[in-house]
Amino acid sequence: MKNLREISQGVVDLVRSEGADDVIAEAIATDVKQVRFSNSQVDAVNSWSEEHLALMVAVGNRVVSSDIRTLTDVGPRARALAAFAKKAPPSKTYGGIASGRFKYRRGRPDARISDLRDPSRFVHDAIAGAESEGANNVGGTFYAIHDRVGLASSAAVLAADESTAAYLSVRAFFQPEASGHAVCCTPILAGMKSKETGERAGRLAASAKDPVLGEQGKFDLIVEPLCVGSFVQSTSGMLSALSVEIHNSMFVRKIGKRVASDQVTFVDDPTVSSTTRRAFDHEGVPTRRNVLIRNGVLKTYLHNTGTAKRFKTRTTANAGPFVPMAQPVAFHPVVIPGDWKTDELIADTKHGLYLNNTWYTRFQNYSTGEFSTIPRDAILRIEDGEIAGAVKNVRISDNMMKFWKNIDALTKATQEVYWWEEAAPPSTLPTVRAKGMTITRSA
Amino acid sequence: MIDEDLAENLLDAASRASPLLAEVRLESTERRQLALKKGQIESVSSSSDEGMNVRVILPSGVGFASSNVVTKTKGLRLVRLAVSQAKSARRREPFVLSPENAARTSWEVRQKTRLSDLTTEDRLEYLRAIDSAVQSTGVNVQGRYFELRDWETTRYFVNSEGARIRSFVPRVKVESYNVVLANRETEQSIKEWAGTGGWEARDTWDLPRILPEEMRMLKRQIEQGKRLEPGKYDLVCGSEVAGIAAHESCGHPMEADRIMGREMSQAGRSFISRDMIGHRIGSEHATVVDDPTVPGSYGYYEYDEEGVKARPRYLYKEGLINEFLHNRETASRMGVSSNGSSRAESYIREPIVRMANTFVASGDFGEDELLRSVKDGVLMNSFTEWNIDDKRYNQKYVSREAYFIKDGEIAGPARKVTIEITTPGFWSALDAVSKSVRYDAAECGKGDPAQSMSVFTGGPMLRLKGVVLR
Repeated sequence: MKNLREISQGVVDLVRSEGADDVIAEAIATDVKQVRFSNSQVDAVNSWSEEHLALMVAVGNRVVSSDIRTLTDVGPRARALAAFAKKAPPSKTYGGIASGRFKYRRGRPDARISDLRDPSRFVHDAIAGAESEGANNVGGTFYAIHDRVGLASSAAVLAADESTAAYLSVRAFFQPEASGHAVCCTPILAGMKSKETGERAGRLAASAKDPVLGEQGKFDLIVEPLCVGSFVQSTSGMLSALSVEIHNSMFVRKIGKRVASDQVTFVDDPTVSSTTRRAFDHEGVPTRRNVLIRNGVLKTYLHNTGTAKRFKTRTTANAGPFVPMAQPVAFHPVVIPGDWKTDELIADTKHGLYLNNTWYTRFQNYSTGEFSTIPRDAILRIEDGEIAGAVKNVRISDNMMKFWKNIDALTKATQEVYWWEEAAPPSTLPTVRAKGMTITRSA
Repeated sequence: MIDEDLAENLLDAASRASPLLAEVRLESTERRQLALKKGQIESVSSSSDEGMNVRVILPSGVGFASSNVVTKTKGLRLVRLAVSQAKSARRREPFVLSPENAARTSWEVRQKTRLSDLTTEDRLEYLRAIDSAVQSTGVNVQGRYFELRDWETTRYFVNSEGARIRSFVPRVKVESYNVVLANRETEQSIKEWAGTGGWEARDTWDLPRILPEEMRMLKRQIEQGKRLEPGKYDLVCGSEVAGIAAHESCGHPMEADRIMGREMSQAGRSFISRDMIGHRIGSEHATVVDDPTVPGSYGYYEYDEEGVKARPRYLYKEGLINEFLHNRETASRMGVSSNGSSRAESYIREPIVRMANTFVASGDFGEDELLRSVKDGVLMNSFTEWNIDDKRYNQKYVSREAYFIKDGEIAGPARKVTIEITTPGFWSALDAVSKSVRYDAAECGKGDPAQSMSVFTGGPMLRLKGVVLR
């Protein structure tokens, strides 16, 4: 395959010669190996490879985009898109694209992930680990991902990057309603702790044995990174300037205002080593560490060049994929840790719940933050500083901004978490305690 | 253009390596999209996609490999990959499939007005008409956002048992996101309308009339809506609420792969076990159907991803657990035939058990008759927040549009009425069902990576007797 950056530059030159003003071309090649397992055995071993070119073309303020699903015969389709742009209706809010000859720090992909032949062995190790802790039914997913990207634009941007990631998600059952969930996310294969991840899921499952129907009321919640990851997903989505523009956000007109407790500093940092480290955003702007919420005060939204212009500020280098629609996205959210240990948090909690995971976080109203979510896997009752058994069938029914405002303690230890479509994008998070949250259950 | 000879060549290679079953799918899709935000164009896009996959079943497991590079060289590589992956699975229980007829057929959904004939101006004119209608209400609607997508998919499926199926399916969808502001409070409305067929589908949606009504309704909810005193009431559910309940607390727990644990670490398991066929789950009024053959429906198909002919599935029948949703793997494990429930989002993903159009079957009450029968209750026409646990037992719906019912009459808007109830609790409380079924379009999420699947949810009006509301 030709160098992806050269392919993109060739397309930019071609489309410019057809009369386009602004052009971004991003050639992407992805190879994924996946193992799905349940009932303590492998269900399917899947792999997929995709190569495509995302292309944005502007003629004046007539802007169109296309995902060209090939890299071998791009020319005719790129020309067609240029012709399409000339006839497209104008967009009065078009904000242009980033310009500049930037310098980048390229990633260091791990060839052991890109060349991985037998991903099933990690799954067998994870199953054995969970079973060694008493689990009798284990399921999950293992991923090995290799991404390459080359980006060029008409504004002198020329960039290339390559990355690898391995993800393991293990859900272990001790009883039909006693489960635990653990994940491992790593950009290098040496960091894949499959047996230990299985063991942790197994231990959590065993700790959740014989759950009883949970009570309604106010509880202090000690929330593991995997569970916080679901809240981070919706919160980072609402920090996107596009969400703010359409009032799909509880952060509208909140810049400079308190939106979390002073214990909370929330950043997006794709520059640190992680599975979503990246050298540049989808406009080619070098990524950087952005403090979104500092000590509880909202500092900025996530921006691309277009939203930044409309908000009269500068891009935060969070341009997301521009097909079908350009919008700012978080790449790697991080909540800055505190200085607690998890055991200390439990010992310091009088009446609470320890939450391993959650799913189905849904909002009554994004602009106010009212939501509910359903804890799953180990839900442990805490009374007078001690674990006092497991519960089931409860729901957090409260307000997302209140969750962030009620955090009074964070652990020193953090973990990178990613799970399915709930705890996504991958984020690095501590365990946190949120005081006085409302728990409900079925009547 | 689909290269059918390529599919045959790849199938030959895969069949030689697989004594049980080999499948090859080739697919091509044309997509168009246009979004309007606060009256201004937000995005215009047009894309073509083409790809293929090879699935090989061996006793040791399943191997699936896909790519959007459609060449013989790449295809043969996919065959080798799929075979080696199937071998590497090393299952304790050998993999088996239900025996099914090998269909040789072609099917397509016809369009009166072809989606590919629409211009960008046609699409823009339609969204602008909706936006103007919403603005003309005088309601303070913040963040008006409308998006129109349409796509046409051509597929060719072959398997080593002799199946050869060609298909062509056009789909079109409008999504809207609106926030209404009144009295310094807001209410949100997130909706979608979609169908299978051509541009004529929009005539059934009537959005320039429906969306302004929705905005006025939300304003009334804010200005006039009163909170309910928590307690036991009769609840009348509109079709939107009936549909979400049918989908979430009947369709999902009746997916056989979920019952058998295959989704255990993602979308979860089911409170229903394989030995519960015939078990009572609700009243005799609780009949829920999943039917891929509803004409024009968003979840329409004639043959599933494994080449099995589609048919209606009666999931709950007169209150009893009746029939699970099956693909060939789950059917074989439970000793039945597949009922054609295997679907995939696109060629790039493995096919898994999915719903199509899931709805509560009609009853014999008139809607007015049903409302008049309620002495002290609530009509919940539509919902905003909703969720259900991963075993599909504990569900919650919060109203978007609701009204008090007093002595059989609508008695003003009720604000954010909440029902939080178990699945047997919901279906057992059902004691009356109206005659007319209405549908809503939705995207169902399942699988890993999550596959978004086009579905209808729906139902008639339902009356639930004496449920706890707050």
